[in-house]
Order: sequence, then structure tokens, then C-alpha cells
Amino acid sequence: MNATVKKRKKIKKEEVVGVVLAAGPLLGFFIFGFIPMVLAVFMSFMKIRGFSFDGARLVGFENYRYVFTDPKFGKAMLNTLYAAVSMPVSIVCSLFIATLLNKKVAGTKVFRTILFLPYVCSVVAITTMWKWMLNTDFGIINEILKRLGVEKVPWLTDSTYFMPSMLIMGVWGGTGFGIILYSAALGNVSKSLYEAAKIDGANRRQQFFSITVPSISPTTFYLFVMGLIGALQDFVRFQIMGGDGGGPGESGLTAVFYLWRMGFKNFIVQGMGMASAVSLILAALIIIITIINFKVSKYWVHND
Amino acid sequence: MIKESKGIKAGERAAKILTFTALTAVALLILVPFYIIVITSFKHNTESMGVVFTWWPQEGFTIEGYRNVLFSDASGGGSLSTILAGFKNTLVIVVPATLLGLFVSAISAYSFAKIPFRIKNKMFSVLLATIMIPGVIMLTPSYLLYDMLGFVDTRFPLMVPGMFGSAACVFFMRQYYFGIPTDLVEAAKIDGLSHIKIFFQIMVPLSSSALIAQGVLGFVGGYNDYFGPLLYLQSPAKYTLQIALKNSVSTYGYDWQTVMSGAVIALIPTTVIYVFAQRFFIEGIATSGLKV
Repeated sequence: MNATVKKRKKIKKEEVVGVVLAAGPLLGFFIFGFIPMVLAVFMSFMKIRGFSFDGARLVGFENYRYVFTDPKFGKAMLNTLYAAVSMPVSIVCSLFIATLLNKKVAGTKVFRTILFLPYVCSVVAITTMWKWMLNTDFGIINEILKRLGVEKVPWLTDSTYFMPSMLIMGVWGGTGFGIILYSAALGNVSKSLYEAAKIDGANRRQQFFSITVPSISPTTFYLFVMGLIGALQDFVRFQIMGGDGGGPGESGLTAVFYLWRMGFKNFIVQGMGMASAVSLILAALIIIITIINFKVSKYWVHND
Repeated sequence: MIKESKGIKAGERAAKILTFTALTAVALLILVPFYIIVITSFKHNTESMGVVFTWWPQEGFTIEGYRNVLFSDASGGGSLSTILAGFKNTLVIVVPATLLGLFVSAISAYSFAKIPFRIKNKMFSVLLATIMIPGVIMLTPSYLLYDMLGFVDTRFPLMVPGMFGSAACVFFMRQYYFGIPTDLVEAAKIDGLSHIKIFFQIMVPLSSSALIAQGVLGFVGGYNDYFGPLLYLQSPAKYTLQIALKNSVSTYGYDWQTVMSGAVIALIPTTVIYVFAQRFFIEGIATSGLKV
């Protein structure tokens, strides 16, 4: 009798201890994630001046109407999609490089160390580095082009070349992450599949496309989803490279850049309410894309 | 027969040489930009602004850029230069936030993996779902809340949220704790150890490599953060290293040797950590898919 009570008490105690110990990150999310999220919905229907609710008033869908009819928002969305082009390029490059690393030639360890390096470097440092290399008059890129007989390209000062510059930098800095994930995935592809394919007389290329690519499709899927979510929120490197104005002719004005300027720079005229509307539009887009990705992934991602 | 196997061997060798050459080319594409910033940082200013790009300083090496950035520049208003003050400010924010966040995540992961309680699965699903929520929604309301509470231009918004741990870190550590036999926990329980004691005395030593992996990733992420400090820090005395580096580009305008010296200094800590802790790094990223 006494023993069962004790046991029950102990179980009850374990229930409490388990919940308390596990709860930290959820509590953090509730305070710093959930509460702001709910607030963002309310804010998107309000006209807010500056950084306080004093004098704020409900304006219905006015903020959304403004954003959807603002040609700058359309431009920012197009710029964001343009910038996102570097993501699939990075994925293909990282798969190619990871395949090379997987062949285990001499010096693989050294190569791996070098190829992952941009991944640990700060966006500020990388952007500063490329700002110097892409400098029209003194940069190495134009110097190399000059030796090849190409005219000086105004990489960062002309609206036509600004985004291509950002794409080059994006691929350079973004490939390391994919290489790490693909290297791990390639190491896990079962050797017996290749042996079987060899016996069946499949050449290297057939092996790559019918064994390797399907086997690592979960990694490709993951990189694609994370890449897209990241690309839709891309902002920092554009602000560092192009300044608060968004680069030449606002060619580097991305969606989050547009949001940031609304809420944190033009906070009297446009303000936090409008910026919240933009953030909800973006979040909705990201969530829709994520859900579609999960549905579609059934058809081409092989999980086993 | 012999001829054929020799043919295959030669073919394999050619393929290896081709792979090696391709990897060398890609590695050079990565390394050359680093080389350029390092070499520019040691050039005299007149040379870095010269019409012809030089791969090696023709006018000799100078450490003037480093001297500017480390000692003479004090636009932050303190006794330290902007970059050094930024380095100190970064450490003050990142080290405690990373350590405490790591502890909270790890003990949460331990609970999810080893302590039986009824609402465990529900709690874990909610936690996983939070990973999917795009951070952009929190931008405006968080700022407004912090401003109303008087936390703008303090380190609070940059430190405290991280101290509650992260879902991705919990996920990674939980996987790791699944790999440690539950019998060990059961035996310790019979010996009368509390869960806190089991965590510190048994789990922490057994999971030190995973903890290092997550700690290193967290530190590098915080060290490299630019957006958070950009939003919340206003007085120059509180600027972090990344903000100081960004500002040095406008402060020094065309003084590229100084700007590049700053960039090199900012890159040294993460590069050194990365080179020495590479194994932990790759393990951490490959298993959790975490993006710094």
C-alpha cells in the first residue's frame, strides 16, 4: 500500500520535472515569438506613428491596400525573386563539388576545409570583400576583365549590374552549406546499390542520375526549402552593399529591405503598421510555399 | 587480360587527376578573394588605389592599416578603438547568451529523450513547428515591445531570447541523447540521483562533443550577426564588431587598406575556431541542417 503511494508520488514528480526541464525553449518561443506574432496581426490593421501605440488607430485593410498598390512593393518582390536565382545555382554547384570531394583524391581534407570556409565568415566581411573586388576602378574583377579585353563594368553603381554582382557573391558565399549537407548525404548512399548497378552494366553517368540523385533527394529538398525561405527574407547583404537607399536605382531593394525602410526609416509617414502588413504577406507566402513543397515532395523525394 | 586491367588503372588515374584539378580550381576561386583582402590590408594606400592591380605589394608591406584600425581610431568615444570595443561588446553579448542557451536546450533535450511524461509528444510537436515560422513576422512587434519596455539601445534584445535555447539545438541534442542507453539513467535513478544530477554528472560528459558542436555553431552565429545589432543598438559605445566593420567602410571611404585590415581582424576568430573545431562544426551542421 505504502509502496504504491510512494511510487505514484515518484511518477507524479517525474511528470513535473520532465515538463519543467523540457519547457525552456517553448517558454522562450511563447514570449519572444508567439506574443509578437499575435501582435503583428493586430498591428497590420493599424496606423502607427513612430514606436508606440499612442495615437494608433484601426484602419482596416488600408495598409494592405497601400502595399498591394505600391509599385515599389511589386519591384521589391521582383528583386527578391531575381536574387533567389542564386539558390538553385548554389545547389547545383554544391552537389557537383560534393561529388568531387566524395571521390577521395589526395588532399580531400584540405580541399574540404577551404571550400567550407565562406560558410563561417560574416555577411559583413564577405560583402566588404566583394565590394572591394567589384570596385569599378580598382577592383580585381575589372582588372581581370581588362586583361581579357573587356571594358570596365560598373558592377555596383549601375542598376543593370548590381543584381548580377549580388548573385555572384551569393553563389560564392552560399555553396559551402550545400557542400556540407551533400557530403554527409553522399557518404550515406548504400555502396551495394552501385555494385548492383555496375553488374548491370550502368556507366558512371547512369549511376549518378539513377542512384545518386534519387538517394540524396531529401537533402536537395531540404536545401531548396531552406534556401527559398532564406531568399524571401534576404536583406542584410543588400543594405551593406548598396546602403540604405537600396543600391543604384533601388535595384537591390528586396522585400524585407522594403519592410525595414517602411517600419524603421519612414516610421512617421509609413510606419510599423504598414511594415507589419508586409511581414504578414511575406510570412503567408513563405508558409504557402513550404506547404506546397511538402505536398509536391511526395512525388520526387525518396525517403526510405 | 593484363592489358585491360592496366587500361582501367590508367583511366582511374586520369579521372583522379581530373578531379584533383577541378577541386584545385574551385578551391582557388574560394581562396583568391581571401588572399586579396589580406594582401590589400598590407599594402600602402597609394598602391591599393593604384591604376594597376598588384598581386604582391610593390612598395613593400605596411601595417599602417592595422595600426589605424586597432589603435588610432576611437570614434566610438571610449579608450578602445572602434573595432576592439566592438570585439569586446560582441563577446559580452554572445558568450553568456550562447552558454546559457546551450544549457537550456540541452537539458530540455535530455528531458525529451529520457524522462517519461505524458504531454511530451505534444510539446515536442509544437517545438518542431516553431522552426517553420519565418522570423520576419517578429520584426516589427518585437521592436515595438522592446521600445515600450525601454530595452532599445540595450543588449537585452540581443541576449535574452537566445538564453531560452533554440528548437534546432534541442532537436540535435535529443537525437544525440537517444543514442545513450536509457539503462544508464535508470541505474542512476535507482542510486537516488535526481534528473538534474544525472544530466550534469552523466549526460554532459557523455555528450561533450555534441555540446561543443552546438556551442561553436551558436557562437559563430552570434558573432556574425548584423541585423539584430543594426536594429537595436544606437549608441556607438555599444556597437558590436560587425556593426563597427560595416561603419568602417563609410568612415574610411577609400582607405581600403584600413577597411581590409578591419575585415581581416574580424575574420580571424571564426576562421581559427573553424579550422580547429572543424570536425564538430561539420558534425553539427550535417546532423541538424542548421544554418548559422
